[in-house]
Amino acid sequence: MPDATATNVPPVIRTRGLCRSFAMGASTVRALRGVDLVIERGEYVAIMGPSGSGKSTLMNLIGCLDTPSEGEYWLNGQPVATLGEEELARVRNHEIGFVFQTFNLLARASAARNVELPLIYGGVPPAERRQRAIEALAQVDLADRMDHRPNQLSGGQRQRVSIARALVTRPALLLADEPTGNLDSKTSYEIMALFDKLHRDGNTIVVVTHERDIAEHAQRIVTIRDGVVASDEQNVPRPVGTETA
Amino acid sequence: MNIVESTRLAIESIWANRLRSFLTLLGVIIGIASIISTAAVINGLNHYVSEKLSNLGQGVFVVKRIGIITNRQDFLDAIRKNRRLTTADGKALVERCPSAAAVAWQAAVTRDVVREGLEIRDTSISGVTPAVLQIEPFDVDAGRVISQLEEDRAAPVAFVGADVVEQLFPNSDPIGKRIRVSGQPLEVIGVAAKKGSFLGFSQDNFVKIPYSLHRKMFGSWPSVDLSVQAADPARMQDTMDEVRAVLRARHHLRPAQPDDFSMVTAEGINDLWRSMTQTIFSIALFVVGISLVVGGIVIMNIMLVSVVERTREIGVRKAVGARQKDIVQQFLIEAVLLSCLGGLIGVLLALGAAELLGAYTPLPARFPPWAPPTAFVICTAIGVFFGISPAKKAASLDPIEALRAE
Repeated sequence: MPDATATNVPPVIRTRGLCRSFAMGASTVRALRGVDLVIERGEYVAIMGPSGSGKSTLMNLIGCLDTPSEGEYWLNGQPVATLGEEELARVRNHEIGFVFQTFNLLARASAARNVELPLIYGGVPPAERRQRAIEALAQVDLADRMDHRPNQLSGGQRQRVSIARALVTRPALLLADEPTGNLDSKTSYEIMALFDKLHRDGNTIVVVTHERDIAEHAQRIVTIRDGVVASDEQNVPRPVGTETA
Repeated sequence: MNIVESTRLAIESIWANRLRSFLTLLGVIIGIASIISTAAVINGLNHYVSEKLSNLGQGVFVVKRIGIITNRQDFLDAIRKNRRLTTADGKALVERCPSAAAVAWQAAVTRDVVREGLEIRDTSISGVTPAVLQIEPFDVDAGRVISQLEEDRAAPVAFVGADVVEQLFPNSDPIGKRIRVSGQPLEVIGVAAKKGSFLGFSQDNFVKIPYSLHRKMFGSWPSVDLSVQAADPARMQDTMDEVRAVLRARHHLRPAQPDDFSMVTAEGINDLWRSMTQTIFSIALFVVGISLVVGGIVIMNIMLVSVVERTREIGVRKAVGARQKDIVQQFLIEAVLLSCLGGLIGVLLALGAAELLGAYTPLPARFPPWAPPTAFVICTAIGVFFGISPAKKAASLDPIEALRAE
């Protein structure tokens, strides 16, 4: 990972005093109360915390699905807190790959069409789109299932399609929200092994989870509690790749 | 996202909900089909009337005792006040209207025609001066038309329509054979080309005989119609003024009194006809317009349902980089495509209806060529108008909320 060590490369994520409040009737709920976080290129970070801790809100902000009430956020050195709707859409398209707990695949589209989706919005021409979708599916070992629809795939395969969709734009950041939350433990290990491999390939990965053993795969575990960073520590990843096929 | 992708998505979505899409479109389908069918019938009638009137020829007008009557009071007044037109009126026009190239007259009664036990009923028996057949030319199928000599001698000859030949001469050549009208034997000298029927009335059930013979047989009581051909078609109005002056003088009308006859021109009939069909069409358009609005509202409703159903899909699309305008475009194209699909089915139905009407009813339906492009424009407008609000609703969904939707 030579990029990660180069001094002139900005961190993938840099936040300063990130706050997010929600109006709930008359009162205001302060979900985030000033988060400072820096994630360098090539890092593999788990964000942990109990429900209600603000980790989902943080993930939405990092994923540019939401804009902060206060504070600043640079994604790849680019300030995104002030971006408008169209620019946020462009950032989501180019810079971020999302992996959701519930996969969020389009039911009527084949695996390949699902993976192509971000490229469609990115304006990539059809032939190149198909080629890149095939390559992304090959990265998750699903090249032979490209014409299958989500309902013809197992849970683990669906999640791998969704990872391929996240990878296909070659984003700066792979953002996974409880990626194994809907999978059994064996399939969970397969998916985590895939994340481990993607990390070794040089991808920057942020996984949001409330499960300790999922977080153990990351090199760094950030714990959020009551809207602030409660702990931020390095972790020695548990080797997992060996016990899965 | 480009139009091709949006269109593909829209087609996939419409196809995935085939039955629902079809039911949604019924309003638009019925609306478009009925308006085009109405237009086809009116177009057919207009075409027919224009064709008929063009037979009348350039610069020709007809003076009648009772013209085209559009209300009951006019009709009663005309019956009471208008004098019968006579051959003397016709002869006066020949003498005193220098700008008329030809003046002819004819009178008609309805009688049965018989031949050797065969019979055709309710045939129009008209006495015509030979000039009538020049002014209003007939296509002659066989034989010839009535000559001046036959008119002068009141010769017992007949120029007959195709129905008369079909009924009385099923297997033989009618030329030179005899038919009888009210006991008077007539020699068939010519047969007119078949014209077919109009609104269920056959136009081939007629016998034309010399006017002089007609007068002998039926007396001078029936009012005659005077056909006048202006020498210069461009100056027909001058000829009409001349004719009016002559007839008013002959009928001793004071300046303040209205004409007690009417003059009918091809343009006049055509204008009247068109204003009638225009009215019918406007009413039909209004009624069908309501069904199109209802059809549009149904489309809007189903699009709103579709937005709710696909909230999560919209969330996913936004998460992977769809802009609001991409979502608007996708749903708008779906609404427009849905509406245009309804229009297409409607046009096809109308095409079939026009064929069926033409084949199985007396209405001369004629599919108007402007109908498909017009239907396309109207349906696009309906799709945009009723699709924009659901599309905007979809686009304005908050991606986080949308992703959480069940």
